[in-house]
Amino acid sequence: MQSQHHKHEPEIIVKHLTVGYDGKVVLSDLTFDIPKRKITAIIGPNGSGKSTLMKAILGIIPFQKGSVTMSGHDVDKSYGKIGYVPQRFDIDQSFPITVKELLSLAQSGAIHKDRMKEVLGEVGLNPVTVSRMLIGALSGGQMQRVLIARAIMTDPDILFLDEPATGIDVAGEQSIFELLEHLQSEHDTTIVMISHEVNLVEKHVDNVVCLNRGLVCSGPPAKALSDKVMKELYGQHYDRHDHDH
Amino acid sequence: MLEIFSYPFMQRALLAGIIVGVLLAALGVYVVVRKMAFFGDGIAHASLAGVAIGLLAGFAPLPIAIVYAILVALAIYWFEANTKLNSDTIIGIFFTASMALGVVLMSFIPGFQPELISFLFGNILSISTSDVITVAILSVVIMTWLLIYRRHLTYISLDKDSAKIAGINSSLHDIIFYIALATAVVLGVKILGIILVSALLLIPAATSRLLTGTFNSFFWVSIVVSMLSVVLGLLLSFFLDAPSGATIILVATAVFFMVAIVTRVSTR
Repeated sequence: MQSQHHKHEPEIIVKHLTVGYDGKVVLSDLTFDIPKRKITAIIGPNGSGKSTLMKAILGIIPFQKGSVTMSGHDVDKSYGKIGYVPQRFDIDQSFPITVKELLSLAQSGAIHKDRMKEVLGEVGLNPVTVSRMLIGALSGGQMQRVLIARAIMTDPDILFLDEPATGIDVAGEQSIFELLEHLQSEHDTTIVMISHEVNLVEKHVDNVVCLNRGLVCSGPPAKALSDKVMKELYGQHYDRHDHDH
Repeated sequence: MLEIFSYPFMQRALLAGIIVGVLLAALGVYVVVRKMAFFGDGIAHASLAGVAIGLLAGFAPLPIAIVYAILVALAIYWFEANTKLNSDTIIGIFFTASMALGVVLMSFIPGFQPELISFLFGNILSISTSDVITVAILSVVIMTWLLIYRRHLTYISLDKDSAKIAGINSSLHDIIFYIALATAVVLGVKILGIILVSALLLIPAATSRLLTGTFNSFFWVSIVVSMLSVVLGLLLSFFLDAPSGATIILVATAVFFMVAIVTRVSTR
């Protein structure tokens, strides 16, 4: 449980953000904030601009209008203190690199054996069996956990994850959400994730940002994810019971 | 057998060949993982225009070709970053346009051009002491950057967005990589020729990829394979009285096939 002191403290403030490319507006005039030391999920249907929003917040893609501040500064001032977990399909799994080498990319100097063991253990992997494996030999769930391990190697203040549970079986999805809850509570990390798993989001996150090209809702899931909002996001035939695992 | 290396021209050839072999193999590892094979070939062919400009203006062709290749590499980088065009398409445009420019400029130079033939097919045995010094200085600069920033370049090659967020200036390192690659390719052109140089970027790295199970060993074994190919290729070309550049590439290819067969058989 978070202290009242931290309850409303924003980590990221987004004001009037407009993002577009090739003459098309993808996200229009978004204003919201992301609370400190909480788990926030960005949800919305396919093509709603979730990944674009995350990449704009992170400064990976430029935005046309508006502003994003992270811990009170421009985003690039926070580089090095942010962990980022891309979609695992964005990583070329034929790249000839072992798990140990992948983790060592995250920090300068020689990788500390104990830190690697600690981080792999924390994400639920056996360091002895996994560290010498090439990333191409990992299962989808293992790869996802390795990418999370890499992102937390430097003990970041804020952790961003782009669809961390996609392409993983139902039990795996659940355990990824539990892992994120554990990381948040253990390290007081602010976590921002993109997710399609609305039922898991309702159970495991503190805050949601709902997108459908524009901002549809933001706030705690119990309050923000009303039936009306869900129908606006996923269509009139949306039934949240269909999405129970 | 080793007395052949008592000849000064063979000493220069061996030294320049090993230096360029190490450089091309080290950068070749990143060319392979970034799937940039066409870049090396494109830059090599584009450098013909630089050679032609140098010959036409009465300057030494090597430095002019290096500057021209760097400008082409930067133009390719800019078009990749600022247009919707695929990298292959952009390289193809610069490759063919520069070749065309080189052919037109060459037509203005009267008489036989031995320098041109040397750049097309390479001539490691005719390399001068000043060329060896140029090759050595540029290679040391590039290898120093590569060894210091190897972690950064590996991170960018695997996952550019994460590298940027981790605080690595990925655009700057990408630009330096393009410049380094263009320079290394032109140095290789002097030895192996425009047509064959990309082989030494790719074959040692491909051979190493088959042999190794970590990125670190992939990097170093590629360099060893390249050095081995240069030394054996030079020796063989001397005894067979065959063109040196082509023999080096044939040795590297033979090593690749042997490794491919042995590793295939041993994994059955």
